[in-house]
Formats: sequence, structure tokens, C-alpha cells
Amino acid sequence: MIELKNLTKTYPTIGGEVVALEDVNLTIPDGAIFGVIGLSGAGKSTLVRCLNLLERPTSGQVIIDGEDITKISKKQLLQLRRNVGMIFQGFNLLEQRTVEANVRFPLELDRVPRNQAAARVAELLELVGLSDKAKAYPSQLSGGQKQRVAIARALATKPKYVLCDEATSALDPTTTESILQLVKDVNKKLGVTVVVITHEMRVVESICTHVAVIDNSRIAETGLVSEVFSYPQSDIAKQLIIPNLIRSLAGGEGTKLRLVFNGEQSDEPIVSALAMECRVAVNILYADTKNIDGKAFGHMVITVPDGKSATVTKFLDAHGVSYREEV
Amino acid sequence: MSVLFTQLWSNGGFWLGVWETLYMTVTSAVLAYIIGLPLGVVLVLTDRDGLSPVVWLNKILGTVVNLVRSFPFIILMVALVPVAAALLGSSIGNGAMIFMLVVASAPFVARMVESSLKEVDKGVIEAARSMGASNFQIICKVYLPEAKPSLIVGAVISTVTILGYSAMSATIAGGGLGAIATRARNVYADDVIWLCVALTVVVVQVIQEGGMFLARKVDKRRRVNRRTKQS
Repeated sequence: MIELKNLTKTYPTIGGEVVALEDVNLTIPDGAIFGVIGLSGAGKSTLVRCLNLLERPTSGQVIIDGEDITKISKKQLLQLRRNVGMIFQGFNLLEQRTVEANVRFPLELDRVPRNQAAARVAELLELVGLSDKAKAYPSQLSGGQKQRVAIARALATKPKYVLCDEATSALDPTTTESILQLVKDVNKKLGVTVVVITHEMRVVESICTHVAVIDNSRIAETGLVSEVFSYPQSDIAKQLIIPNLIRSLAGGEGTKLRLVFNGEQSDEPIVSALAMECRVAVNILYADTKNIDGKAFGHMVITVPDGKSATVTKFLDAHGVSYREEV
Repeated sequence: MSVLFTQLWSNGGFWLGVWETLYMTVTSAVLAYIIGLPLGVVLVLTDRDGLSPVVWLNKILGTVVNLVRSFPFIILMVALVPVAAALLGSSIGNGAMIFMLVVASAPFVARMVESSLKEVDKGVIEAARSMGASNFQIICKVYLPEAKPSLIVGAVISTVTILGYSAMSATIAGGGLGAIATRARNVYADDVIWLCVALTVVVVQVIQEGGMFLARKVDKRRRVNRRTKQS
């Protein structure tokens, strides 16, 4: 488990201090895929670098498995980093080394005997599906392949935690999907706890179990993805999760209801049924719903005439559709 | 054809000159790297955004390097005559020459090394840090291997510069093609001078082309780019 307590990071600059993180408190449970989402400059990258002390926090604690790592010796820190793998947006592979030598690199740092290391490297390349590229150099690989090598490298020392800093931001959508799938597999098969830093909603949506929304150096909101995505509380979370919601709520007559689909049966024509049964003209202001394996996910904002809202909410309650009244 | 030319041609004086020039240049270059390479590494390490910033040390080393580099070689050489005499017991001969060449070129080498190392992607350094690499491991396993092609190019430039210095130093001490040319000038043997120039050009070409070939050969990025272009 990783816990951050009252974490603050400021950078001195010529124009005065710049605050990158302010009083951040987070708990990252074991086995989670924990997403940290925020706009550019919100402090995400600084946050993830505080987890392995690539950046030293100005104040506060970083507690990994019960130990405050801001207090351990330099030697212990180097050991600790072998237990926390990291992958990057720019892959950061050693360009003059082959794929297998890149994956072997952390083992060399750890002085693992050669034959033992070779076996581990083969195993890792198998895991990321690049066994045939062992002798290739990074410049011969595509972006997705490079990131696979980086993932294999990050896993070489069998870390308990892996940090992903915008790991898919430089990749096209299809490749992003396959890399995310790999991260998910790694989490499931190896039980590695993953921290994912991203500005892309779909990354959190597709793999994360938990999410923290960061805004202006502070954590705006945190919780299970299913909760935060269905009922975002903070403005920034709403803006990130339902980008057009706020705009769609502006003006107009009637009561506005936001329906939240969180895995209900998608074959039920709920809006049509609502209109017919309650004899009410429903107007859809906003809809962003998906059908995943026969289940509905997403949000929809409807307006109903003021007098009719009681009937409508009764219908929704009866059909098990959750909703919020929006103003 | 001048008397000197015939003489040098028949007794192998030209070849001795080429040999001496090469010997001085290569020995000086190796010694200059023994000093300049660690110095360059220290300059990168102690830099403000280096792995272990020590700003005062960086400033002092930087200033010393700049100071030595600001001297025109011919003046530095004259200034070093008494130093060479005190240290080596002689201010002439190849030993003194090499001493002067090393003093003059080590700071140059340090700057070459520094600029090569600074070309290494910061992200790769960060990745190595994230894996728990010590600073020593980062130098040996990341900085130097990743900068290898650029370091070789730097070594070629340094060596050619030292070769130029070695010819200059013939005005005071030492042998080589520079010394032959100086002697030839005193007896107006233009043909000897021209042959010395031609031989120097050949030596420089060999170092330059050989070094660049090696740099291309070790660079794993270049090799691939070329292949992609062909296909």
C-alpha cells in the first residue's frame, strides 16, 4: 500500500515559489490500478515522481508498505526503487542497447548472474510478446513495441508497484488499447499495483479501479472509478468526465435530470418506455452512453416539464435507473 | 629538387617525420583523454541540473578549463617552457612536446566530452534513476555507452586539433612533420614544405575518415536510419 500524507512540493524559481503539489493525501491500495487524472500542469507528473523520490517532496510523507521513504538512506532508496518500476511517455529506452539488453539493464544494476538474467529476460519478452525482437535495437521498433520493451524492463526486478507516466499519450488509439490491455494483464497475472498518470479519460475508463482527480496542485476528488465516474462531485471531475454536461445544463425550462447508467441492461428502451408510461414529453439535452457487453454505461441529461418530475422519478426508481437532479 | 629533399627522401626522414607526428599526436590524445574524460564527466555531474550538483566545484573547474582554453596555443606553449623544464628536466624533445600538448588539449577534451554527454536524453537518465541505478552506474552504463558515437566524433576532432598543435610546437621543440617544415623554411626548400603539407593532409584524412567510419559503425541509431532510407 502506498500512502501520501500532507504531501507538498514547491519549486523555487526566479519569480518566486511555484507550487506543484499542495497538501496531497492519497491511499493507493495493493492490487489496484490507480488512475491519477488531471489537466496539463495540474501536478500529476510531480506526484508520480514523489512516489519513488525522483522528486523530493518539500514536506509531507510518502509511506510505502508502512515505511516513510522520505526518511530512508540513499542506499535503501536505490533498493526501494527496484521494487517500484516505472514507464514513461517517451519510452526512454537505451538506444545503443538491443531489446534484450534493455530488459536486462535493471538486472545488471542489481548484479544478477548472467544466465539467471538471460532466463528472466526471455520470460519477460515472452510476456510482452516480443520474443522475436530480442536482438533488435529500439530504433527498429514501433512506438507500441518500444513501450512493451519498457514494460518488460520495468518488470524485470519483479516490482510490487509500477508507475506509468502518461505511458500511452504518445501512441495511436489502437496501440494505446493494446498497451492498456497489457498493463491490465500485468496487474491481474502478476498482482502488481499500478499507478497510472494520464490526461486521457479513456485510459482511466478502460483499466483503472480507483481514480484521483487532481486540479491546481490539489486532489479534487478520489474514490472507486465506478463511483467517481457516476457521481462526480467537483467541477473539475465533472468537466473531465462529462465534458459537455455543464454547457448542456445552461438555460431552458423544466426539471433537468441526469440519468446514470452503470451497468444496467442495455436492451431495455428506457427513455421510450418512460415517455409512453408517464405520458410525458422527454427532451434529451445530452447523452453519452455506451453499450459494453450488453450493459449500459454513461450519462444522459433529460428535461421533463416541472409538474411531471415526481411521476418520472417514480418510474426511474421502479426501473432501477439512478439519477441526479441537476440545476 | 632541393638538397634537403633528396637527403630526407633517401634517408627516410619524411617517414620518420610522419611517425613522430603520429606518435606525439596519439600519445598526447590518449593522455589528454585520461585527464579530460573524467574532467568532462565531473563537469556534467556537478552541473546545476546534473546528478549531484556541486555548483562551486563546477564553477571552479569551468573557469580553469575556460582559462586554459583562452590561451592561443603558441603563447601557452612558450609559457609552459619553464614548467616543462622543471618537471621533465628538459624543455625540448618529444617528452616536453607531449607535456605541452596534453596541458593545452585536456581542457578542450573535457568540453568535448561534456557536450557529448549532455546530448544523452534526460529521460533515459531519469529511467535509469527510477530503476535504482547509482550515479556511478549511470555514468558507466548509461552516459558513456549512450554517448559513444558522439564521443568518438569528439575524439576525432580533438585528435586533429592536437595534430595541428603538434606541428606548431615544432617552432620550439619536438620533431615530426612540423619540425621538418621549419627546417626546410630556413634553407628555402619549398618542395620539402609542400611534401610535409601533403603528408599532413593524408594523416588528417586517415584519422578523420577512420574515426567517422568507426562512429557510424558503433551507432545503433544511424545504422537503422540508413537501412530505412534504402528500403
